[in-house]
Amino acid sequence: MAYVYTLPMIFSAFGALLCLVRKTYFEEIVSVVASLATIVAASVSAFLPNFSNTFLYIDGLSKTMLIVISIVYTSTVIFSTTYMKYMENPLFEKNFYYLLMNVFAFTMFFTVSVDGFGMMWIGVEATTVTSALLVATENNESAIEATWRYIVIVSSGLMISLLSNVFIYSSVHTLSFSTIVSMHITHADRILLLGTMMAVIGYGTKAGIFPMHTWLPDVHGKAPAPVSAIFSGVLLPVALYVVARVLQAVPVASLKEFSFVLGFLTVLVAATLMVVQKYYKRLFAYSTMENMGMALIGLSLGKYAFIGAVVLLTSHAFAKSSAFFLSGNILARYRSRKIDDVKGISKRMPFTGYTLMFSSMAVTGTPPFGTFVGEMMIIYGILKNFPLFYTLTLAAFLALAFISLNFKVGKMTFSETNGDLMERKRVGRSVPIINTALAFLVIFLIPQIEELLSKGMIK
Amino acid sequence: MEKIFTLVGFFEILLVLFMQWEVYTKKIVTTFSIASYTIAAFLFYIGIVENKYLVIILALITATVRGFFIPWFMKRSMVRDHWREREIRPTLSTAFSVLMSLFIVVFAYVLYRVTLYGSVQLSAGSIPIALILQGAFLMVSRRNAFIQLIGYMIMENAIFLFEGYLFPELPFIVEAGVVLDLIGIVAVSGIVVRMMKNSTSDLHESDELRG
Repeated sequence: MAYVYTLPMIFSAFGALLCLVRKTYFEEIVSVVASLATIVAASVSAFLPNFSNTFLYIDGLSKTMLIVISIVYTSTVIFSTTYMKYMENPLFEKNFYYLLMNVFAFTMFFTVSVDGFGMMWIGVEATTVTSALLVATENNESAIEATWRYIVIVSSGLMISLLSNVFIYSSVHTLSFSTIVSMHITHADRILLLGTMMAVIGYGTKAGIFPMHTWLPDVHGKAPAPVSAIFSGVLLPVALYVVARVLQAVPVASLKEFSFVLGFLTVLVAATLMVVQKYYKRLFAYSTMENMGMALIGLSLGKYAFIGAVVLLTSHAFAKSSAFFLSGNILARYRSRKIDDVKGISKRMPFTGYTLMFSSMAVTGTPPFGTFVGEMMIIYGILKNFPLFYTLTLAAFLALAFISLNFKVGKMTFSETNGDLMERKRVGRSVPIINTALAFLVIFLIPQIEELLSKGMIK
Repeated sequence: MEKIFTLVGFFEILLVLFMQWEVYTKKIVTTFSIASYTIAAFLFYIGIVENKYLVIILALITATVRGFFIPWFMKRSMVRDHWREREIRPTLSTAFSVLMSLFIVVFAYVLYRVTLYGSVQLSAGSIPIALILQGAFLMVSRRNAFIQLIGYMIMENAIFLFEGYLFPELPFIVEAGVVLDLIGIVAVSGIVVRMMKNSTSDLHESDELRG
């Protein structure tokens, strides 16, 4: 049955290869079909038992990630078919864009399917290689500058995680995740602790974790909307997935505390910076950073908070991809990224306006979205493990993030305007609505997510 | 073996020091090529002495990719665009860069003795740390994108030297994968650097890259 688990990789790689054929709309059709096939393959894997060999390691967490990646990948490809039409001076032809998108999806599927930390590093670094040019698609100076920052900062961060692999290997003499887990490590020597902490910082760079987060707002701000969506929705969680594996392999208290502190600081910094943002795409980028901080806290606490983190990442992936898709629609119509320049979306683009409001509520953890349940489970974990002060401080900053984002989005959506209706009936309007609905529907799937994480499959 | 490791490490540090005060990009690329060939030769030696054919293959890959292909690719881009040949305005003065580099070597030694010495006891164990920090310093102290890329690769070379010496049994697929990723990074960076020159200006939008 091992081949079933490799199907998402095979479909996306096959889709990428077919994009080399130059025929009108062929690359779009192929990419949509390939991505839909990955959803089917990933969903089927949820009903199959766990699997591991020398190369693959598939458990409930991998399966959840496979499903989330495949759905966001599909919605991104479908949304791109509309969005690419608005690009005035794209860096490359459409078929190359879809080729990169498919290869990028392949690298993410690869990262969450492999067993060794060395292979995971290769997968995460490959996501940088395949996605860097996607950031620069709009082909202007600031987009290229953002791309360069992305390459330099993320690669430097990943250098730290490469060194962490050396330290981990020197301590336990293997990089295989399943082998390290079977060692049941309860005490880490100095070099193992240093290695795992470096892994958290290194992969945390890619996940937008403080203090190596600086590339994130630049890239999300300047990348085309579908690329920002797939970055925010699944690329960052894929990096956090590796951090989760490190925490599972070496579950020692000092490493968990270190991760908790980084997650906590990430939420504080992101929430504070959200207050002063003037550009809506950067605002959403800092919101992503805040959510990744919360997820890291959940992963570090384990048990119910761990499940909460996975629920949060799942719901956030749908809601935030929707928010970025909508920001693309707004940019295409208003021709500005400034919050002050965008007025009366609810009147001029009603579907976009209301969906944006719902998706921004979803990403800030408003009930009844899955993010709310995920955050509650994490906060419960903090309450159980730390003094009340930590919970109150975190809650205050979450409230700050909630007010900042929803106030600014509300201002854009409901402000007065004399402009005409300018929304078009295109597929780009429907995709964000579906993703926002999925962010809500996640709450009905929490028992299945829990079953996947605890038993490895849905029976 | 440890003596050769010390010698190679010391030579690598000298080469990086040279890169710190050099302003001509081509010379820096050539120096990087020499540094990579040296590491490849060292890995080759380890492979022969310890009879590990995978390490020999890794040495050959290192020489081909880091020693030959990447420097060739960079120089080819420079021949095409002369504006990249020299860094006209380095962020830091040459004297300050050299002083900082020497400080980094001392700092790396202290850092190694305080943190890792208890676990990995090597007479020259601080060399890879010094090289990693030197690479990072080269990245932050220069504006030229190619030199920043060289800084990144110096950091990677340092890790290669370190793991090649201490853990030659590290899975080959991992090491080869790292090299392949490096090709990807350099190829993509080459395209981005080229675009930096050709892109349409939207300086008012660069405001967005703050805060």
